[in-house]
This record gives sequence, structure tokens and C-alpha cells, in this order.
Amino acid sequence: MAHPQIAAFARLADQNARPVRKIEGQKTLLGRTMHGLTYDEIHDEFTVPQQFAQAILTFQGGANGETAPLRVIQGSKTRLEAPDRVAVDAVNNEIYVPEGDKILVYDRMANGNVAPKRVIEGPDAGRGLDAVAIDPVNNLLIASAGGGGGDRGNGTRFLVFDRTANGNVKPKMTIRGPRAMGGPFAIYPPKKLILATNRPGGEVLAGDDSYLGAWSYEKSSDGAPLWTIGGPHGVLQMPRGVTLDVKNKSIIASDKRLNSVLTFHLPEMF
Amino acid sequence: MAKASWASRRVAFISTILTLVGWAAFLTTFDGPGMAGSTRRGPGETQLISIQPLPAEEGAMCEQVPASAEETLMAALQQRQDARAASIAARNAASQDRSQLKPVRSIRDPYAAYSSVAVDPVNNEVVLTDENLFQILVYDRTANTPPRARFTEPKRILAGLNTKIEFQCGLYIDPKNGDVYAVNNDTVDTLVIFDRAAKGDVPPNRELHTPHGTFGIAVDEATQEMFLTLQHDSAMVVFRKYAQKDDSPLRLLQGDATGLADPHGIALDPKNGWVFISNHGAVSSRSPRPEGSRSRRGSEKQNWPLERAQAIPGSGRSLPPSIIVHNMKAEGNAAPLRVIQGPKTQFDWPTGLAVDEQQGELYVANDMGNSILVFNVTDSGDIAPKRVIKGPKTNLANPTGVWVDLKNNEVWAANFMNHSATVYPLSASGDVAPLRVIRSGPLDQPALGIGNPHPVAYDSKREQILVPN
Repeated sequence: MAHPQIAAFARLADQNARPVRKIEGQKTLLGRTMHGLTYDEIHDEFTVPQQFAQAILTFQGGANGETAPLRVIQGSKTRLEAPDRVAVDAVNNEIYVPEGDKILVYDRMANGNVAPKRVIEGPDAGRGLDAVAIDPVNNLLIASAGGGGGDRGNGTRFLVFDRTANGNVKPKMTIRGPRAMGGPFAIYPPKKLILATNRPGGEVLAGDDSYLGAWSYEKSSDGAPLWTIGGPHGVLQMPRGVTLDVKNKSIIASDKRLNSVLTFHLPEMF
Repeated sequence: MAKASWASRRVAFISTILTLVGWAAFLTTFDGPGMAGSTRRGPGETQLISIQPLPAEEGAMCEQVPASAEETLMAALQQRQDARAASIAARNAASQDRSQLKPVRSIRDPYAAYSSVAVDPVNNEVVLTDENLFQILVYDRTANTPPRARFTEPKRILAGLNTKIEFQCGLYIDPKNGDVYAVNNDTVDTLVIFDRAAKGDVPPNRELHTPHGTFGIAVDEATQEMFLTLQHDSAMVVFRKYAQKDDSPLRLLQGDATGLADPHGIALDPKNGWVFISNHGAVSSRSPRPEGSRSRRGSEKQNWPLERAQAIPGSGRSLPPSIIVHNMKAEGNAAPLRVIQGPKTQFDWPTGLAVDEQQGELYVANDMGNSILVFNVTDSGDIAPKRVIKGPKTNLANPTGVWVDLKNNEVWAANFMNHSATVYPLSASGDVAPLRVIRSGPLDQPALGIGNPHPVAYDSKREQILVPN
């Protein structure tokens, strides 16, 4: 990708509507390969990982143009290796970074060369941890494992831990996820729902068997998703990330092959 | 009486004609269910035979948002569309089948976003890569889109799943036969090579499996060596020009001493034996680790870069942007011969590079500076460019690709953020209008710059969708 940026579009933006602002340029410290992004509604900030520089960047919510991040977690104490995804627990003031065989947890206000306040890691905690979401309502941490490669054909799993998990802990429950995860997932705590995408497996560039699905994290499950959008001959080609606009009862998903961001209105889900 | 009767018959005849014309017009313009854009159908096809009112809809609708004084007519229209889409969504929900649910909105740029450019002087063509619609577009070199035209039609287009074209950020044209070498960045990991005349959705004539995150390409025709920069691993690899499939690189440049840090563009100065590489500045150190697994693609290959699994935890740095100069034969953890870096350089995400061997000048597509910077190939340190092409007349908008055409004494820029490629005289400096412009879209249409949107977030305070590349 020739030009890194974070573009902000109006909620009702459609087709080639102009972005209302962009965060881009040398001072932002942004780079190619932004595979995670989270908005903290309580503190009006957004946080994004910088994989190449092994950094976690937090910006003011209204950042615009060539703006420096408010805080940068980076340095020898951080244990950051190739941070791809990130989650912020705005209620309990923590930042979570999955790093394959561990999940690093920092204070939300951490800045500079700081060590994680706790680390979830060990044989019981699982491997291939690639995305994470925090449910502050039910005090749970949901991590996905298996990733875009679908754990080499074994599919993906959602692992549910106590929110305050630390060290080598077993997940409270395990839920079978999509065959190959398209990108970071979202959760809807009031109904204990996980929203995630399924991409075509292998090195296929696109496939209309891609879908966006919902899974429950009420209990362990080895079953199919509760429902899906897309699938055979559906609209999605290579879906990636998901987020929710709860107020307007919408699911927003990105699609690499369509190079597009799509909004689905699904009031009955909320 | 007879006269009156004839007149009334004439009125009745005209009324009948007008009624028939009215119904015909209605039938060809009615935009009801299943009739969008319909016209009269041929025998055996579906026909409108009756019109019935839709049943009253139940279920949740879009929340009513009061209009503010600042809302535009367009916003109001969009809300109406939203409400219509909500009713469609409610119908789908009632059936409990959401597989075919359509999005109520899709943010998407319908026009090509040029990312790199190369000229074929033998065939008088210019080739551009498009990272938005995943195309390689070939135009006549002298094409010039008139201001009132929507866009210029390419002579040839390569696009489609068979081509393996996606986010192509580097381009090289073989000066002898016009073969097109196009670098896919990090979604395909394959360098694709096409015959000059290839078009449509055709497989590449040759493929080379590259390390992950390849960006720039340059070829030394004298030694038949091909140089590639690697963003993710902050490295440069050199292959045989005709390498294919799983061939290994001939040599590798990677390590803390090299100055490589999120490298992008690459250009050669064969006369002096130098290679120039632009860097955005993000880097981490690497070390072979027994537990660090190599990618399947990299296993059993020589001179393969140390990948992310060999990153040293906590070694990441965010360095200032730079252009480093190495010997073309450099390998291992060699230090650069020179580094151009510092505030006087004006670097702000320096991306594409090109060298004018005759004048001994280095051209830099300075993405965020909206400029083309020109340095001497011998420059070093914190030095100002000798010429800068920049300003509102230039039409430069986030240039990411640059090409020097020595046959025609021109320099080209691929502008990522305004659907255009622009060309200037080699001596151009300051706020100069381009000699010619090739546009892929209308002048008044915004370029979104979306590229491989991966995560997406919702700013609930401002009601905005955050989309990173």
C-alpha cells in the first residue's frame, strides 16, 4: 500500500464521499500494516499498533492531519514484537495487545518504554492469539486464536478468559470460530455476541463464500455461527474487520478485495 | 351538427392517443419493485401485469434524527435512502435469512488511484498501477486528458483475479521488449511479469514468489539483476532479473547498520554503482532465533530476510525519514555509503525514487510534501533539495511514484490522491503546471485513498467511521 492513512468518514458517507478528516504524515508515526484500531468513547481517543516500529500509538479522538500521537508505548521493556491488533478497556483503563503466544496488558495511560502490568501466557492460555476484545459489562476477555490462516486448516477459536486473567490461565470457555478469520472482531456485551468475518482460505485473493457471522459467548460451543451475512454468492469478497454503531443499530465491515467499507443495518441484533 | 360531431370525435381521438402515450411513458419509467430501470420486455420475459400496494411494514426502523440547520440537502437525501434501506433490512430480518442482506451504504472510490508509473520509450507508452481497483493501465505517452473530460480511456487494462494484481506499488518496464514487472505489496507476495501486449484478466507470463511486503523495484540491465525493497523486514533483496517461482535471492541487505527502516522506493545509478532507497523510518532489529519459525515461502531458501518471527522484542524505533545510498553489490549488514536525512531535506514520507544518470540527479516522490524533490546523486547529510516541484499549479497530490524519461526529457509523477498522473520537463522547478495530465476520474471527484482497509472503528462521539490503510 503506497500511502498510509487513517481516514474518517461521516456515518452516512456512501460511495466516494470525501473523508471529513485524515491522520497521515511523518509526525503521526503511522505506517503500512495497520491491522488493529480501537476508539475509546469514554476518553475520546483512538489507539493503533505500529507493527514495524513495535509501538502502540494513542491519538486524541479528533486528531486531524499530520498530528503526533498523545502517547507512544515503545522500547526494550515493552516486550512488543510485531503488534498487529489492540483493544482498549476504557472502563478499567487498560490496553491489551495480543502477540501470538501471549497477551500483553498495559495501563491505558502508559507512555514510553514501559513494561506490561500483566501478561497472559503459558501452555494453558493457548497459542496463536491474534485479536482480543474486552467485555467490561461481564468482566470477560475474549481472544481469537488461529488467525487468517485458520490455524493451518483447523479453524479458529474464541477463547474466553476472566477480564483480570494473568499468567498461565485456562480459558473459561472455547467457541469454534470461522474457518479463517478475516480480521479483528467486535463484541456486543449486552447479548454476549461476537461479530467476526470469515475469509477464503489459502492464498485465494477473493471468494464469495466469505461472510460476516455472529457467535454467542454464553457458553462453550463447537457449532456454526448463529447467523451470517454473505456466504455463497453474497456481497462480501474478502472481509476484514468489524465494528458496531450501536446507536444506529448497524454493523460496519471492511473488505479488502472490494477495497471498501460497508454498513449493514441490523436493528434486531441490538 | 356534422361539424360538431367531427370535432368531438377528434377530441376523443386525441384524448385516447394522449392516454396511450401516458401509459407507455409510465410503463417505461415506473421504478417499482423489480422494475428498476425497466423497459418493455420481449416475448417470454417477465411483464408488469398488475400493480398492488405494498403491505404495511412492521419492525424497527431507522431512528429518526432531527434535521439541523447545517444539514445539506444531500445529507437529507441520504437519510431518506437510509430509511428505505432500513425497511429492506427489516424485511430480511423477518425472514431470518441474512445471507443476502445488502449493505445500506458502501464507501468506495470508483476511479483508479495511481501509485507507480513507468514509461516505455520504445513503444511511446506510459504504464500506471492502480491500488484502488487493482489494475495496470497502459496509455499513450502523449495522452492528455482535457479539463472537461471525465477521464482518459487506457489503451490496455490488466485486471482480474487471474492477473494476481492487487496493491501494486512498484513498476518496471523492460526497455528492450516492454515486459511489465509489477510488485504486489503485502497481500499477494508475488511479483508478476506480463508481456507488453497482455490485457484483460490473464495470468502473468512469469511469477516470482517474493518476501512479504515487497514495495520498490529497480533493474540493472547490465548485470541482469533485479533489486526489491521489503517494508516489513526492513531489507533489500537482489534476484536475477529472470528469476521465477521459488528462486532464492542472490543476496540480501538487512540489519541495524544498513539504515533500512520501512524502505519504499529504490533507484539505481549504474554509472557510479550506487543504489538509492527511501525510508519512512519504522524499524525493529532482527536476530535468528531457534524458536522463530520461518514462513513456508522462506523455508529452504538462501538469502531470505529475517522475518517478523525473528524480531527482537522491544527493539522497535521510529526514526526520521531518509534516503540511504549503498553500493549496488552491498549485502549483509553493510553500512550505507551516505545518508540524506534531516529537516532541510523536506522529507515527509519520501516514497518513489528515480535517477537521471545523465545529469547525476535523484528525483524523490515526497508523498506528504505534495512535491517532487531533486537532489544531486552525490548529496549527503541534512541538505536542501536543489529543485522542488510543488504548488497549486503542479496538480501534485500525494505523489507516490516517479519516473524519469530520458528519451523525452520528462519526469512523471503518479498522484495517489487526485486520480491523476502528471508530467513535467526535467528542468521544472517551483510551482509549474504540468505539460500533460492523465486522469482516471472527473476533476471534481474526491480520491479516498483507501487501500486494504483491515480494521475499522466507529467514533461514536463524532459519528464517524475510522478507516486505516
